[in-house]
Amino acid sequence: MEPDPLLELRRATVAYERDPVVEGVDGAVAAGQSVALIGPNGAGKSTLIRAILGLVPLTSGTIRVLGRPPQAARRQVAYVPQADTLDPEFPVSALQVVLMGRYPRVGWLRRPGAADRRLAARALAEVGLAERASSRFGTLSGGQRQRVLLARAVAQEPRLLLLDEPFNGVDALSQDLLLAALGRLRAAGAAVVMATHDLGLAHLACDEVCLLNRHQIGFGPIGTTLTPELLRATYGGQALQLRGDGVIVARP
Amino acid sequence: MTLLDAFGDGFARRALLEAVMVGGLCGAVGVHVLLRRLPFFTMALGHATFPGVVLAALAGISLFAGAAVFGAVVVVVVALLGARERVDDTSAVGVTLSGAFALGVLLLSAQAGFSRDLTAFLVGSIVTVQPGDLAVTALVGVAVLAVLAALHKELVLGAFDRGGLAALGYPVLALDVVMLLVIEAVVVTSIPAVGTVLAVALIVAPAATARLWTERLRATMALAAALGAISGVVGLAISLQWRIAAGATIVLVAAALFGLSLVVAPRHGLLARCSN
Amino acid sequence: MSLLEPFALPYMQRALVEVLVLGALAGAVGVLVVLRRLAFVGDALTHTVFPGVVIAHLLGRSLLLGALAFGVLTAVLLTFVGGHRRVGNDAALAILLTSFFSLGVVLISRTRGFTADLTVFLFGRVLAIDRTDLVQTLVVAAVAAVVLAVLHKELVLRAFDPEAATAMGYRTGRLDLVLNLLIALVVVAAVEAVGTVLVIALIVVPAAAARLLADRVAAMTTLACLLGAAGGWLGLAVSYEVSVDRDLRLAASATIVVVLVAMFLLAAALAPLRRRMASR
Repeated sequence: MEPDPLLELRRATVAYERDPVVEGVDGAVAAGQSVALIGPNGAGKSTLIRAILGLVPLTSGTIRVLGRPPQAARRQVAYVPQADTLDPEFPVSALQVVLMGRYPRVGWLRRPGAADRRLAARALAEVGLAERASSRFGTLSGGQRQRVLLARAVAQEPRLLLLDEPFNGVDALSQDLLLAALGRLRAAGAAVVMATHDLGLAHLACDEVCLLNRHQIGFGPIGTTLTPELLRATYGGQALQLRGDGVIVARP
Repeated sequence: MTLLDAFGDGFARRALLEAVMVGGLCGAVGVHVLLRRLPFFTMALGHATFPGVVLAALAGISLFAGAAVFGAVVVVVVALLGARERVDDTSAVGVTLSGAFALGVLLLSAQAGFSRDLTAFLVGSIVTVQPGDLAVTALVGVAVLAVLAALHKELVLGAFDRGGLAALGYPVLALDVVMLLVIEAVVVTSIPAVGTVLAVALIVAPAATARLWTERLRATMALAAALGAISGVVGLAISLQWRIAAGATIVLVAAALFGLSLVVAPRHGLLARCSN
Repeated sequence: MSLLEPFALPYMQRALVEVLVLGALAGAVGVLVVLRRLAFVGDALTHTVFPGVVIAHLLGRSLLLGALAFGVLTAVLLTFVGGHRRVGNDAALAILLTSFFSLGVVLISRTRGFTADLTVFLFGRVLAIDRTDLVQTLVVAAVAAVVLAVLHKELVLRAFDPEAATAMGYRTGRLDLVLNLLIALVVVAAVEAVGTVLVIALIVVPAAAARLLADRVAAMTTLACLLGAAGGWLGLAVSYEVSVDRDLRLAASATIVVVLVAMFLLAAALAPLRRRMASR
């Protein structure tokens, strides 16, 4: 018998004051699986991620994380936002940022212990930033900061990982390290949902895809769902273009 | 009617005129203050003109002039501080406000036997307004309104999209400074009516109220000016009737109008949003 | 000029303890205020406790209690008032702040000695602190310090990355309320000593100076506490010495603030040097 999916969406719809932002999202993600959310700007990818986190309420339909409503499952869910929303002058080191991922497990009133620090250091090493542990977060490059935020998510030991455009503006080395870290998380049984523009990376990192353009156009295995026809339907007939390295990227 | 009777005396008529002018002027400028997110700066400006007032009192020159000059100095200091790394705008304002006010207090306390009542400058003293003050208010009011009218589209664009304004070739920094100086002029002009501490209320509240009732910018400005003037008149009348501080009463009326609008305004009021 | 001689007198000793405690506490809370750019919130609180003090004064009750009641009320209101789309946070704060303050002015204007009372409230009377005042300050400071220590890591997380904090399950609204209450406690504790307008200096200036020189929250907090306490000490000493030697009365609270601002300017001047030395 198949194990219960870690994430389940049934006709999920989010609307702001009667305007639907994203509607009719339907699908499931099991342990070890990875789904790419693909669609043009304004398609509702970020909104959907926020709905899965329980940061915005659903107007209709349901979302179940580990069989529970999103707000009840937050401790098992980790979120990797885009690093450029954070204050680069904030006085924290890379290791301290990763340690923040341990707070829900450490709990109120207590400080992170030696075991937490070891875990954080290991997560930071996994993304190749062990030697920058004491550097101030803001002194790192964009790609390095993104890796630190992923390490923070890894340190949380989550069952479900949500990423919002994790590869935007990230250098090639950081990209490879991010992909490797994601692979290890999946092997350990976590499920991954990531919003991305980059179809090539979606192929590398994910086995399923959810095509969105304010409503769901397709949800299924990447081989059968990421087809030219469905892509055209998602991007409304906009041309797809080749990147310099010969990989097809949907024009956002 | 008792309210109208209250305006029989000379001082009350002058106060009424001042209240209308200051209220209207503050309301008009207030919209720009809101657009540029400057309420904190405006309040700090009010506090920071205090040393200027003290210095002017000590030197025996017009307190108004002292406040005006010092206010301009403060504008420059805040701009310079805020431009430095790791000093964000609110901290720059906080530091400048504290430093300037402390300076004023120091100067004041260093004067043995100094007897001028300077609290009037903190919370206003509209019933002692002189014809000279009225003339100054009128002049400044006309000048400010003229500048705002002449530069209307540039100021609005600059508030909305600084980059766009610069791209069109406008001197963005100069326009910002003009705006700050206009605000400073209005704050200083409001001192006789509501004092430095409360000036920000008369600038911000009518404009915030107007924004709850209308979407169009010019309508907002007109409404804000009207609400400011109304707050001035009603507040003054109540204060004369009950013999309480006038400036504070004017502010309370303006705040009450805002609070009321927060609840009942169509579209943006609480009642309207709850019924959606 | 002696930095210790003034403090042989009992009233100066009390003043010293008061400013050392307040300086350190305000510095620690100030770190969060500065990092989250909440200086305006702090300023708002210094004005909104005024009617509480006036009402307590008119009723003959403890001024601290009056300030505390209004401080808590404001902290709660502030936490909920922000977020309305058409009314910016700043506008709402400005209106809240001035209407509360106006209420206090209106109430006090019907009493005799209006201007004298207002002056004391605005400028403080740190040299007139008695034993009871000092004990009250210490109690409030102790409560605030405990709350700050216990919730520190969560408050810093919320300051740095509110979205991640929410995603991890923390209620940022509640954390914000706690911080607003902490700021209110500091304001209430400090108002009698240094007056309302100068309290904001204790909260913002040492922390802003520390931010220029520190790369870690822990270092920033330590430095802010030290600067706050040192400013209090120096300010008291200077104002005393000048009063005694030069016969020039300088308000103690204002002198403290001027010393703090001078420290800030020094930090601002040193910061680029330190950055150059510290890079890689």
